[in-house]
Amino acid sequence: MVGLSEGEKHFIRGGIAQDIRTDGRKRLQFRALSVETGVIPQANGSARVRLGATEIIASVKAELGKPSILHPDKGKVSIFVDCSPTAEPTFEGRGSEELSTELAVALQRCLLGGKSGAGAAIDLSSLIVVDGKVCWDLYIDGLVVSSDGNLLDALAAAIKVALSDTGIPKVNVSLSAANDEEPEVDVSDEEFLQFDTSSVPVIITLTKVGRHYIVDATSEEESQMSSAVSVSVNRHGQICGLTKRGGAGLDPSVIFDMISVAKHVSQQFIGVLDSEIAAAEAEADE
Amino acid sequence: MEYVNPLTGFRVDGRRPNEMRQLKAEVGVVARADGSALFEMGNTRVIAAVYGPREIQNKGQQVNNKEALVRCEYRMAEFSTGDRRRKPKGDRRSTEISLVIRQTMEASILTDLMPRSQIDIFVQVLQADGGTRSACINAATLALADAGIPMRDIVTSCSAGYLCSTPLLDLNYVEDSAGGPDVTVGILAKMDKVTLLQMDAKLPMDTFESVMGLAIEGCKAIATYIREVLLENTKRLEYQRG
Repeated sequence: MVGLSEGEKHFIRGGIAQDIRTDGRKRLQFRALSVETGVIPQANGSARVRLGATEIIASVKAELGKPSILHPDKGKVSIFVDCSPTAEPTFEGRGSEELSTELAVALQRCLLGGKSGAGAAIDLSSLIVVDGKVCWDLYIDGLVVSSDGNLLDALAAAIKVALSDTGIPKVNVSLSAANDEEPEVDVSDEEFLQFDTSSVPVIITLTKVGRHYIVDATSEEESQMSSAVSVSVNRHGQICGLTKRGGAGLDPSVIFDMISVAKHVSQQFIGVLDSEIAAAEAEADE
Repeated sequence: MEYVNPLTGFRVDGRRPNEMRQLKAEVGVVARADGSALFEMGNTRVIAAVYGPREIQNKGQQVNNKEALVRCEYRMAEFSTGDRRRKPKGDRRSTEISLVIRQTMEASILTDLMPRSQIDIFVQVLQADGGTRSACINAATLALADAGIPMRDIVTSCSAGYLCSTPLLDLNYVEDSAGGPDVTVGILAKMDKVTLLQMDAKLPMDTFESVMGLAIEGCKAIATYIREVLLENTKRLEYQRG
């Protein structure tokens, strides 16, 4: 909940119009990003991402399961988001359910592609162990520990980092089993397969305040927004998903303009994120 | 299963019977909360955040207008346990622990100094490896102190158990699930008063005394540590102010 006086609101809007925001940033500038990997030892992969005062912990757990009948050659990935009341007292009890679901669905849209699994940012066929019988189920959990706006971008970044930290155990399948029997699987606890995360997109949310739009809005700035467009872009500049939020309508030409700006910003952001991941991994190795 | 090695006297994780897991605490981890803290006991890791004292949000909850209203919510992260399972929010165990933490903290907060206001304590378990109840209380104490809320004393909590005819301090998950008695004690460190006492399973009277004594020793050790952390934090703040 953000309580702002008329003067403060005017100051925020005026700052955005003049390309210098209340914290001194330009309109298309992100807050300081910090990344830590391996924060949850029990998970296959985990990460903590801080974007200003927004803090996210993401974990990836892999379990052996059965692929669905419709897609026998693909593994399954599910994404859940939980907003802890530590971030905001209004998230207490069931208060965060709506927001959590909204964020989880937006992430699914951007990372998992359509119903058929086509166009998924995560290569689902790499999760298969035995066609039609055994596959990996990936459970991706995002926990919002502290919230100061721009949760979706931070969550997507945290998931990308957690996936790059993920090691999926190597599985040996004994082929002797007959066709209709359950194949015997032996999960190795020493050998791990690294996950290819080069194609996992980042999400860039452009928040429209007044006549201009900004990236990485704080919660004060978000309270002044008329609408927001979240674009997920991968390394090759391809758009993997799109969500528009907020009440006010947008002119289609503005939307195209926002997408091209998001594409441009995303390439810088991916660069920053990649170098942070490399630094975090180097630190974890020591 | 041997929980205490009969030859060496060491426990499953290599500790001595009266040895606590490694403690780690950090104050001010949630930027936007009024007070917050991270507390680790071995692999158990919890975050506590305090909001308040502030105006009562729901007037119906106000008990009387002479004291502050203290509220608490305990939540476990989806990934905090070894096997991942989705639990509905507000299951009975969480509700019970929320209540225990609230009552324990209420005993030390000077509620009569802040009439017509409310204090929210939120604890979030990031990793559970036994003793989450104790870790949450310790984290809540630090967070309340960080928020500058007047308290009578520091509340600390620690658990102890009894396995293989040996009293054991600070049980981890494996020892906790062994089925032996688990005594959780919370004390007001300086005033030397017990504010929380829980035990499951049965235990002879004289053994109980020694187990509880061990848990109290643990609480005191934690209190010393918490005081050190707070002192360090205050020094840092003073240094920052110049």
